[in-house]
Amino acid sequence: MRTRLTLALLLAFLLIFADHQLEIMQPVRGALNSVVSPVQYLAVMPEQGLDNFINQVQSRRRLVRENQQLKEDVLSLQGQMQRYQFLVRENERLRGLLASESREERMRMVAEVIAVDSDPFSHQVVVNKGTRNGVYIGQPVIDAEGVIGQVVDVGLTTARVILVSDQSHAIPLRAEASGIRVIAQGVGDTNSIELMHVPHSTELSEGDLLMTSGLGGVFPEGYPVARISNILRDESLPFAQVQATPVANLDRIRMLLLLWDSNSELQPIRTENEPPSADESGNEGANESGNESVDKSANESMEESADSEPGTAEPETTQGEGV
Amino acid sequence: MMMPRFAQRSIILITVILSLILAVMPMSIAVAAWRPEWPLLVTLYWIIALPHRVNIGYAAVVGLAVDILLGSTLGFHAAAYAITAYPAARYYQRIRNFSLSQQALLVALLVLIARVIVYLFEHYLNNAPLMWVYLWPALSSAIFWPWIFLVLRKLRRRFQVQ
Repeated sequence: MRTRLTLALLLAFLLIFADHQLEIMQPVRGALNSVVSPVQYLAVMPEQGLDNFINQVQSRRRLVRENQQLKEDVLSLQGQMQRYQFLVRENERLRGLLASESREERMRMVAEVIAVDSDPFSHQVVVNKGTRNGVYIGQPVIDAEGVIGQVVDVGLTTARVILVSDQSHAIPLRAEASGIRVIAQGVGDTNSIELMHVPHSTELSEGDLLMTSGLGGVFPEGYPVARISNILRDESLPFAQVQATPVANLDRIRMLLLLWDSNSELQPIRTENEPPSADESGNEGANESGNESVDKSANESMEESADSEPGTAEPETTQGEGV
Repeated sequence: MMMPRFAQRSIILITVILSLILAVMPMSIAVAAWRPEWPLLVTLYWIIALPHRVNIGYAAVVGLAVDILLGSTLGFHAAAYAITAYPAARYYQRIRNFSLSQQALLVALLVLIARVIVYLFEHYLNNAPLMWVYLWPALSSAIFWPWIFLVLRKLRRRFQVQ
């Protein structure tokens, strides 16, 4: 009995050491995640079933109304798009005049959250896309509101996303108005992140929007992350205590967007045998992440996969919004 | 009717997998804080009921599965489950004679110990701040223990798992 305990503990401590101190566990973790992914898919099934059921029994009138609403939304978004395209071109031209690099285009793919960690020490979610879809470690993840986090583990069909609110996560930011650079660290609370090493004399003020600065090399520039909620200038402390509230609702994320840099060798892979409705099914409802299930940039040569998913694979480009 | 041996063993495995599913099933934040430590409860039951089938090693493997599912550093839950399985495996005969409420108290204590162990690991290795919320499930686990116990005992007798 005692030897068994000793043996089990010894193995556990070895694992902890290997996983915590050495980098060698990354591929092992990926494989293990693939092994347990059925459990995660099973865990989310009742909820999805319920959603489907609700979709089925929704009255026709409600659907008509929703359709109407969506059409209006599309119209207004298209109107904004025209303006946006104009601004993009103008921005490119101006950047060309300044001889600075133009913004690169990004590709995105919608992923659905299939598991949320019940462990308060780690703010992570598991999404239903993995190496089979070209997901890679360190990939930025956003939703309709702003930055969610980045990918930390990838299995074959699942990936684990660490949220910006996780206590082990930090993200380089820039205040939208003043341009001040800061680093925000999670504190283990989905409603709050903390800005580190902010001097008392800072020009930051409450309500300032913080955008990604693009300096860490992980997150592209110009995506909104958080809004400063509270600044405590206690002179007895070495730095001002600045709290910010993430703009994305980190505690109720359902649909996410995975981002790919279009000129790197890592590219999204749209699997042919993936049921084409897998992406859309969750999208039909009134979720805020939009209906572009499979966006791709126009210069990509993936027309075949585009054909297999009619209506969802409109060639479209997205760009990191400028400063 | 005797069931084939693999079928008997698969009952144990199925209940453990079900408990893992319950452990990661998405829930609203308010309820999730009270989520009982399902995998540990199920493992403890089987250790007390069939100590020659399910032992400390089994508990460590279940803990490892929890580690993978929750994304914590591999080995945290494995170590915590192995340590809490030890008293159960050692004193299973005594625990079997406890009343359900006494067992529930013991389970609360064991879940509390498991949670404290995981917390200590998280605190010293990953700088986790102390959150009392994290210890609440000890209480909810105790509340759910009688049901877990009765349901699993029924299953065990129905399928004659030995």
